[in-house]
Amino acid sequence: MVKYALMFHPDRCVGCPTCVVACKQENEIPVGPSWLRITKRVYKVDGKLKMSFNLLRCMHCGRPPCIEACPVNAITKRSDGIVLINKELCTGCKACIEACPFKAPQYNPEKDVVEMCTLCVHRIEKGLLPSCVQHCPAGALYFGDVNAVTAALQENKWPTEV
Amino acid sequence: MKKIVKSICTQCHCECGVLVHVEDGVVKKIEGDPEFPQNEGTMCPKGLAFVQLLYHPDRLKYPMKRVGEKGEGKWERISWEEALDLMAAKFTEYREKYGPQSIAFGFCDGDRDEVGPWMAWLIAVGSPYIFGTDAHYCLRPAFVADSLTFGQSHTWEVGPDYDNSNCILIWGANPVESHPCSTARRILKARARGAKLIVVDPRFTPLASKADVWLQPRPATDAAVALGMLNVIINEKLYDEDFVKNWCTGFEELKERVQQYPPSKVAEISWVPEEDLVKAARLYAKNKPCAFHTRMGLLMNTNNLQTVRAVDLLSAVTGNVDIKGSNILPYPSPPRSRSYVDFFRLHKESIPLELFETRPGYKEWPLIYGYDSPWNDAHPPSAIEAIARGQVKAMIWVNDPVMGLQNSKKIQESLKKLEFMVGIDFFLSPTANLADIVLPSATWLERDMIHDLHYFYLPPKGKRDYHESFVSIGEKVIEPLYECWEERKMAAELIKRMGLKSPIPIDSSDAYNNWRLEPLGITVDELKKKRIVSIPIKYKKYEEIGFQTPSFNVELCSNVLKEQGFDPLPYYEEPPESPYSTPELAKEYPFILISGGRHICFYHGALRQLPWLRELNPEPKVEINPETAEELGIRNGDWVWIETPRRKGERVKLKAELTETVHPKVIHAYSHWWFPERKDDPDRGCFESNINIITYDDPPYDKHSGTPLIRGCLCKIGKVEA
Repeated sequence: MVKYALMFHPDRCVGCPTCVVACKQENEIPVGPSWLRITKRVYKVDGKLKMSFNLLRCMHCGRPPCIEACPVNAITKRSDGIVLINKELCTGCKACIEACPFKAPQYNPEKDVVEMCTLCVHRIEKGLLPSCVQHCPAGALYFGDVNAVTAALQENKWPTEV
Repeated sequence: MKKIVKSICTQCHCECGVLVHVEDGVVKKIEGDPEFPQNEGTMCPKGLAFVQLLYHPDRLKYPMKRVGEKGEGKWERISWEEALDLMAAKFTEYREKYGPQSIAFGFCDGDRDEVGPWMAWLIAVGSPYIFGTDAHYCLRPAFVADSLTFGQSHTWEVGPDYDNSNCILIWGANPVESHPCSTARRILKARARGAKLIVVDPRFTPLASKADVWLQPRPATDAAVALGMLNVIINEKLYDEDFVKNWCTGFEELKERVQQYPPSKVAEISWVPEEDLVKAARLYAKNKPCAFHTRMGLLMNTNNLQTVRAVDLLSAVTGNVDIKGSNILPYPSPPRSRSYVDFFRLHKESIPLELFETRPGYKEWPLIYGYDSPWNDAHPPSAIEAIARGQVKAMIWVNDPVMGLQNSKKIQESLKKLEFMVGIDFFLSPTANLADIVLPSATWLERDMIHDLHYFYLPPKGKRDYHESFVSIGEKVIEPLYECWEERKMAAELIKRMGLKSPIPIDSSDAYNNWRLEPLGITVDELKKKRIVSIPIKYKKYEEIGFQTPSFNVELCSNVLKEQGFDPLPYYEEPPESPYSTPELAKEYPFILISGGRHICFYHGALRQLPWLRELNPEPKVEINPETAEELGIRNGDWVWIETPRRKGERVKLKAELTETVHPKVIHAYSHWWFPERKDDPDRGCFESNINIITYDDPPYDKHSGTPLIRGCLCKIGKVEA
């Protein structure tokens, strides 16, 4: 049984917001909410400057706290691991945002619903990569079966080699 | 009806292959094309958000005529007929009354190949004046410096063979922001497979953070750093003795010269710690093959030509030239498409010499603006002078020099003095606002366009081991929206109405593109079917034909420079304004200003209208070291003013970002800020936060290239009091 994973390689990321805009275009997200957010940190180790990036997004958790929090049972986890919000059921109450440690679910004021990363399920069903993964010029995002992705990361492969 | 059209994004010079999704004639989505070798499916935010430009409500939709005073922002819609008739009448009048030298064409960096039809217009008119605004600090001085040394240029995007490199040196360039998919992607991929990375940059950029060695020079001291590295490489005998013996001239002279730059002295000049400098030199020399790349960080100062030469010589003495994994010389190559070089040649051959010689800068800096230069541009600050004093009276401007050129207020005042000006753009920019006629241009989605892609790449799946560049076509996806026209059509119609004849076929898109493709023996229709024509490139071409310099060798000591009375060897020169050359001035202006850091979301002054991009960069920012900020009582997010000595009294306002990525003595301001959303202001706030208000276009200039001190001047800053 395939279990999908989207993995982030912090050593590769250069902090450009390509993934953010790719996601916005693909999923038609207005100004305001963002399913992906990059954070940058500049710090010193033994007097040497360092810079690191992180990508905040839905982790499609093993036991998603958002599912517990949703009062109308609009959130489900599929057998392939993808956590999805059913927009028909969502009332926009934002309880899932409160429950999520990453604040990954995002309120869309235009639609009055909460949305979050779907792993571009409409693309992967067609055999395409999620938009953020395909467009990342830094090779920092990996998508595929969790075992294949983990192996690719361990072998330091480029994402297109997964 | 749904369809997907394969095209090429032309929002920057990466030229990425894209798949454009169209539904009932409406562009819905632009995504990267995984089969296109330039970008292998990746994209950057500019291309991904481009649909927001295409259908932007503020896009120029039809020709307009000025009805108020110049720059007042009052416009009246007119027809193309009226616009073209008016233009034809005006340009004909000036041509007959004052001669063709009263007319010019100017452009800021944008679609370079769209310049072709305008060159055809210039030739038809007989004008010698093409004003490329970046002629003194973008490609040209580096191109000439490389050519003096190697006979050709191979350091800009064209040359580096990152895919096969063991060590990559990026100096004064930030491809992560400016060439993400074609260049940065390949650098990062090489690093991921273990190639060493050296970054020389006054800022700790994301790319610098990935480097094995990062050198942080004081701005505009790069020549000293390169000479210090050469000192280490030569004195420690880390150079390629065979290559130097067989293919280089002037080694003994260079060896003597670099003795003036021991690492300890260079450390004092450049603030780069001696041990870092030595480490970088050894890493570079011991990890052959190395590819290197330089850009505007080296070029925006008054010693730019010798600075690029100094960095070039690192690759020369280590033999990192035209071998696999180094920098590949572009020529000789099999036939390519006709491109800007051909347009320039045609222009040069068509204009009488005595007229050609009147180009501003022609006599003063012949290496860049003279007859033998591959470019036909004028020296930009002198060209602006020529406009200001009324020598040039009527012009067409494409894009936005008010934002793009140094000393913005002077640019605006000068352009206002033009008796007749046509502005061409997608939006009513601060420059277009000064025009008498404004014309709406078609985007790359609305026209066919030949792309001559020089970038080297490894073909997908790594099936062949040689490198090649290629010619491709960016296909028209939809018909031009509203009343927008492609510039070729504007030029063709104008030439016709002036009763002149175009020297090249530009009457239709196919005719023009077929003319461009002629040397390849292929037509537009055939290219559309094939999509890519590969042009293989060989290594070590010098073994057959030598280097294209006077001595047929790599000239460490340049014969051309010697003949022209210049120092034939690279040297370091203290900037005309600095804590050391003007210590008294530095008491009042204690910081060093670098301007012009790019952001991946914007292309120079363009794209600030697009909601998805502006959301990520809402305001102009200036980077200040926290230590400095504390001394001055500046907190993160405070508005800060900046002033430079030669623009005393002019203060630009940007928002403080406190970061240790800049040196405590260095201030870095992001460039090109204006506020297109301020529709009540005809200048769109372009004199508020635009750093070019206080940058220099004045002398002293580099004596070879005429470049002023653009980055690395002194400045003072302070908190804007409410």
